[in-house]
Amino acid sequence: MASAWLPANNSVKSEQEDKTVKNIMGIIYTADRENQLKELTAERAVAAVPICGRYRMIDFVLSGMVDSGIRNVGVITQKKYNSLMDHLGSGREWDLHGKRAGLVFLPPFTQSNNSVYTGLLDALHANLHYLRRSKERYTVCTDAHILFSAQFDAMVAQHEQSGADITLMYTRDPSTRRNSYGRYIRVEEDGRVSALESDPAVPHMPCTYLEAFCIRRELLITLVDEAVSRGCHHLTRDVLMEAISKQTMKVYGFENPGRAWPMDSVQSYFNCSMELLNKDTRDGLFPAERPVLTKLRDEMPTQHRPGAQVKNALIADGCIIEGTVENSILFRGVHIAKGAVVRNSIIMQDGEVLENAELEYCIMDKQSTVRPNGRLLATQNYPIVVAKNYIV
Amino acid sequence: MLRKKRCVAMLLAGGQGSRLGILTRHVAKPAVPFGGKYRIIDFPLSNCSNSGIDVVGVLTQYRPLELNAYIASGAPWDLDLVNGGVFVLPPYQTGATGEWYKGTANAIYQNLPFIDQYDPEYVLILSGDHIYKMDYAAMIAHHESHGADATIAVRQVPWDEASRFGIMNTDKDDNIIEFEEKPKNPKSNNASMGVYVFTWEKLRKYLTADEYDPKSQNDFGKNIIPAMLAEGQKLVAYSFNNYWKDVGTIESLWEANMDLLEEHPEIDLHDKKFRVYARNLAMIPQYVAASAQVDNCMITEGCEVYGHVMHSILSSGVVVEEGAQVIDSVIMPGAKIKKGAVVRRAIVAEDAVVESGAVVGEGEGLIAVVGQGAVVPDGKRVAAGEQFGEE
Repeated sequence: MASAWLPANNSVKSEQEDKTVKNIMGIIYTADRENQLKELTAERAVAAVPICGRYRMIDFVLSGMVDSGIRNVGVITQKKYNSLMDHLGSGREWDLHGKRAGLVFLPPFTQSNNSVYTGLLDALHANLHYLRRSKERYTVCTDAHILFSAQFDAMVAQHEQSGADITLMYTRDPSTRRNSYGRYIRVEEDGRVSALESDPAVPHMPCTYLEAFCIRRELLITLVDEAVSRGCHHLTRDVLMEAISKQTMKVYGFENPGRAWPMDSVQSYFNCSMELLNKDTRDGLFPAERPVLTKLRDEMPTQHRPGAQVKNALIADGCIIEGTVENSILFRGVHIAKGAVVRNSIIMQDGEVLENAELEYCIMDKQSTVRPNGRLLATQNYPIVVAKNYIV
Repeated sequence: MLRKKRCVAMLLAGGQGSRLGILTRHVAKPAVPFGGKYRIIDFPLSNCSNSGIDVVGVLTQYRPLELNAYIASGAPWDLDLVNGGVFVLPPYQTGATGEWYKGTANAIYQNLPFIDQYDPEYVLILSGDHIYKMDYAAMIAHHESHGADATIAVRQVPWDEASRFGIMNTDKDDNIIEFEEKPKNPKSNNASMGVYVFTWEKLRKYLTADEYDPKSQNDFGKNIIPAMLAEGQKLVAYSFNNYWKDVGTIESLWEANMDLLEEHPEIDLHDKKFRVYARNLAMIPQYVAASAQVDNCMITEGCEVYGHVMHSILSSGVVVEEGAQVIDSVIMPGAKIKKGAVVRRAIVAEDAVVESGAVVGEGEGLIAVVGQGAVVPDGKRVAAGEQFGEE
């Protein structure tokens, strides 16, 4: 066999790689950060949190993968994944329902010996069978709690060119929210990542790691095997940090253009939503050449009935507007009745604000209702969340 | 042999629809956009889907590209099935012969083998020129309970319009005793809706006979129905009195769009139990800016509104810039109304641009039309009733 002269990091298997599609597989890890968004994540993973009128958080990284020519995407889930499964379905809306590849749902407990994942490393270990069975040369692995328009294809191209072992996607955008929930890196001029900090009390490093990285699939398998055997649980803290600090691997950074919004609190969710009312901001998140795909719902167009007053609002289909809506986002199927006033608020799918009710700085989760004459007035720095199916 | 089906639907979508003028220059009539995010063909296709009819043959002939691409696998209507589904059926060559569809009946005749595959009891004949929601299952049940050979859906039309339709004269048991095509002095106002249920065995016989009649125009209304009546077959009327509108002319297409803006529209597109499905791209929600004024409109995803829009329908991806005015109009997908332009009582077709300073629909009269992809330049005034676009 010819494998004898191949470099050690290439196995015989790589000869059988599928050359007809881009040689990249994707993994989306949705198991972390369950409680930061309070009521919004009471019944769903962060990846399934509704955003920008008709999308879910996961749509952005998933569409980014599809745009990058990735045709094999594994979605690792852990808890409260019903909403996510319902949203993704067979993957049809992303053209991931094919025979040769497509969307692979990876719920927990598919292997007898795994328990609840403590971190990404555990999750990857529990799904090694899937990683081994896949044929692509590269793996792009990402979380789904940061909202951004990811250029995974450009990251992989740079990864190939630089000869890196691992490439981390980051942003230098100073407007990115930085706090003690994030991960930050220092990137040298030659592109090498020289330091990484995770959940620091105060962030020191200049770049925000977008928790998406690229690695050769087989190297990932080796790393996961080896780290788990040492008793580790966290890929970033136990593997990446060590590789960077001890320089055991070439870890490079890829600067993703555009802005990024980590969703780590109700406030950050609210602020991001309000920023999306700005056209330039929105155009950055929805580049014309990279459409963001999502589940379709066959709603009729929105009806602006006589007497409706709408100013500065993003509105999905299927709404009936008879009242006033300002600086707000309405998801699909929302009803704003006569005399109702909605300002600086987010009303999710099928929400109802009935006659003469008034809302300010509120986030109404799906199918919730505000009764006639109800008033919910909060402030910009402390938006109120009305839980799913709740009647005020 | 495919699994037997109780009913197969055949949708006649091959006509040009020349009365729609410039709007059907590039697309077949059934593919003409309607109501912001639909196309005319969505209505019969969704009706089939909602009526449990899961084999639909779509007969195409005139400019089928857009229609083919639109129907594709049939997934938006749940018609992408292992056993059944939607099939686009263009005319085809058969060795020595091969010809265009000569008429509605000939189009079905040429597809006898398609229908025979499913060995159906009934065949439902539909057309792609009407906006309506109808449960065909109820009509088939009516056909069955009356022991009919053919059932024709009829709708009462205003008496003064009756002479424009095929009129069915019936006895008290709904039996059709006479059929008059566009009668000068109509005896009833029961107009044929162009929706037929046939017992397949009977229809097959009549289609074959009709094909061998050299004088026949091979048309359902002109030949098949009269022949069945003449030979004493049992023809029954099925009355349907909900919303139904022929959108074969520019005026009627505009009117049907405007009907959706009524306070209580006769056709309910909101009803979750009987949805009208459509193929749509995932577009970003509509943005209505602080400078916008929107009054009594239907606006869909992908639109951006900065100007003044009144009593109008904006389809996906339409942009109305600041200071522009859109009144009593239908703006089809992707069209742009630039700063300060005025569009009044008009239909602006797909991807057209009305530049700043242009006026569409000047003066009183009929509906003005801007054709697909046309650019109305600054200073141009498109008069009411005028059609602007390439010749």
